[in-house]
Amino acid sequence: MEAAALILSIAKIWLWIGAGVSAVFLTVGVGRIDDDAADAFVFRVLLIPGILLIWPLVVWRWWRLERGEPFMSRYRPLLSHTPAAVIMAVLIVTALALSLTARQEWPAHIAPEQLSEAGS
Amino acid sequence: MSVKYVPVQWNGFKWGYDAVVLIAVGLFVWVFLRVDADALGHERAVSGAIRNARAFGACAFVLMTMILCIGPLARLFPRFLPLLYNRRHFGVITAAVATTHAYLVLGWYFAFSPVDRFETVLFANTSFTNGVAGFPFEAFGIFALLSLLVLAATSHDFWMKFLTPPVWKALHYLIYPAYAAVVAHVAWGALLDRDSSAFAWIVYAGAAAVVGLHLVAGFQKRAPATDALAGLVAVADASTIAEGRARIIKLPSGDRVAIFRHDGALYAIANACAHQNGPLGEGRVEACLVTCPWHGFQYDLRNGQSPAPFTEKVPTYNLTRKDGVVLLDPEPNPPGTPTTPLPLET
Repeated sequence: MEAAALILSIAKIWLWIGAGVSAVFLTVGVGRIDDDAADAFVFRVLLIPGILLIWPLVVWRWWRLERGEPFMSRYRPLLSHTPAAVIMAVLIVTALALSLTARQEWPAHIAPEQLSEAGS
Repeated sequence: MSVKYVPVQWNGFKWGYDAVVLIAVGLFVWVFLRVDADALGHERAVSGAIRNARAFGACAFVLMTMILCIGPLARLFPRFLPLLYNRRHFGVITAAVATTHAYLVLGWYFAFSPVDRFETVLFANTSFTNGVAGFPFEAFGIFALLSLLVLAATSHDFWMKFLTPPVWKALHYLIYPAYAAVVAHVAWGALLDRDSSAFAWIVYAGAAAVVGLHLVAGFQKRAPATDALAGLVAVADASTIAEGRARIIKLPSGDRVAIFRHDGALYAIANACAHQNGPLGEGRVEACLVTCPWHGFQYDLRNGQSPAPFTEKVPTYNLTRKDGVVLLDPEPNPPGTPTTPLPLET
């Protein structure tokens, strides 16, 4: 229970920091680092959920762009679809196989028993 | 495309696409709630709250399955390419349906504790080491939901440019472990009950379709680049490329090049679209512009540049011919570099 409360507290702090980053980035930062966003305001509202969730990535990219790193003009995919598909397939087959070994019948032969009076 | 960002780039096709998905979601949930419980494998009566949660959970599973089938289907059968276009809206709708499922679950199974329901779901079952039966399968669902929310929240074009394509792409590979987690969430939860036979077969069939299609598409052979000649790569049977279409070849470096045939000449540009790595070589050519089959970005075959006012560029490659064989210089030109088309031999 303490661990659950701690996880929730961390999540709340994470989101509050994200809200702070959103406020500054969307009012000051985004127009400075991306010309396509300079005079576009309505779309910025759509960015808020993303910033709340991945604000460390946002801060990192913002810092890199403020230091003058150009936007990438050419890239090669770093990851291949095939290894990702193979890993996904292995995980799915494993999950289903383990599930099949643990399927249970409803204990219909056991009569239900009332353990306590309602409201007690 | 580039220029100024707008919240959502709507057009007639996207309106229709989204309308169909939303109507399908509504129908699915309505049928799930109205159809006879026996037909759905609900052999014991369940409360309305539970059935609501199951309806949205089942819908989210089916939507995720469909999303993951669209990519390999489009690669294997080009007639499915229209489904790929606007897939991001499909994903956002799926995240909303999954969130509704989570909200309904929290509002029933974890709502009658003196502790906050978000906290309750984390500590109600911590039997992580006692086997599959009784495992807190909610953990898989939480991971999958968070992944879907990250993907939906970063689906705007801004994120691709801001994070850079490699980072954005790596982030969006989350969909694969997320789907595996959803399968585990269902298989280690609802499917442990042998009575849930109808839904079990839907899950098995859906998971088999996703796994099968992705493996077939992943191991599909690309046309090999043959016989290096003085650093150049021979393009076999270039004359058999259909008018207005391309052949994709894989270079020893791992880069893929799309060699197009248009108006009696050959053109070579990088196969990866500058937007989201879409396969340009699977796009159609009109007026010397190839349209990416994923999101409609266009590039001039002569220079790899998007038509004004757009600013995207992809690398171009130089083609030559020697002894009747078409040869490709595997060293790419900088993005947007004009090249000379290679006339086909008559």
